[in-house]
Amino acid sequence: MNAQSPILPEDLSQLSDGELKRLELKIARKHSGMVPWDAVIWAFANMAVWLSLWPLVFSGLLPLWIAFPIATINMALVYLPTHEAQHDIIARPGTKLRWLNELVGHATSWMLIFPFEVLRITHLDHHRHTNDPELDVDITTKAPGPWSAIWYAIKNRQPNAKRNHDYAASIMRAGRTDLILLSLAYKIGFIAILGTLAWNGYALEALLLWWLPYQIAITYIVFFLSWAPHHPSNEQGRYRNSRAWKSKVGNWGSMWMQFHIVHHLHPYIPLTRTPAAFWEMKPILEARGCELGEL
Amino acid sequence: MERALKLVAASLPLVFAFAFLVPVIDQGMRALGLGAPFGLSTLTFALIVGGAWGLFAQVTGRWI
Repeated sequence: MNAQSPILPEDLSQLSDGELKRLELKIARKHSGMVPWDAVIWAFANMAVWLSLWPLVFSGLLPLWIAFPIATINMALVYLPTHEAQHDIIARPGTKLRWLNELVGHATSWMLIFPFEVLRITHLDHHRHTNDPELDVDITTKAPGPWSAIWYAIKNRQPNAKRNHDYAASIMRAGRTDLILLSLAYKIGFIAILGTLAWNGYALEALLLWWLPYQIAITYIVFFLSWAPHHPSNEQGRYRNSRAWKSKVGNWGSMWMQFHIVHHLHPYIPLTRTPAAFWEMKPILEARGCELGEL
Repeated sequence: MERALKLVAASLPLVFAFAFLVPVIDQGMRALGLGAPFGLSTLTFALIVGGAWGLFAQVTGRWI
């Protein structure tokens, strides 16, 4: 895994900043530009499985206690295809498959009770201002350790949490105040659906197929996609605002986030290509003084 | 429409409590075979607990 990339020379210590940058870009380009069909299939298959749980449970074909963990996994898997679409990785503006990029984004983000454009604007803002105490919309996930990270993820979903205000501020900075109303409509719509189900005798189904899986999944997503790859979130430089680290739950368990530093440096690389790009780029990242954990 | 949305949004914790939390407590207790104290029905108990919790969230801005 640590074999030197064929693109890289043996000794990087003599290379200038510009030469290192060129080599890094060359590797990044090698791992980008393709349509990540795995993310597209992932998005729609995941949604189809989750939607199918409802009639299966309502008709009594699937017990709720089996459907609940499946729904939780579904919820945890929603975000990453949406994330690919936020970065235009599936198809860039003006290309033939652009509609697919937008379809993946819109068709999946509603499961997380967010309009796609809100996720896109706020996430791109996170990339622009990573670890900035004032402007990074995800700075509230900064926590001293894993247990406090989980606790903060829960606290950040409270009605008056700073994170809500940070997201609203990011949308306002983008001049999209219309999205604040749309976000409210999503939240009210979510409660209306839950309430309709609940007052018609399906409260536990609504609780265990959507509300609780959503809460567990958001905590998991925030932990692995926001806290862990930026911890300790103290630095803002291009090569220091994110890190690589070895996850105890492995690559799949951490949803490829061990290699999140590659995503921050080159956000157009498809998620599942980031490990390969990382291993090829590793000597450059070491030369740049990146935090690479035990990888 | 915008005004209505803002009005509901301002009282979202209370709306959530009565729309969802109350029936969850009620149906949850019945599913677990739990009876409500003081001879109350599970729905009345759920309205008291869920309503109070929603009011707490509405006033303090946090559920926990």
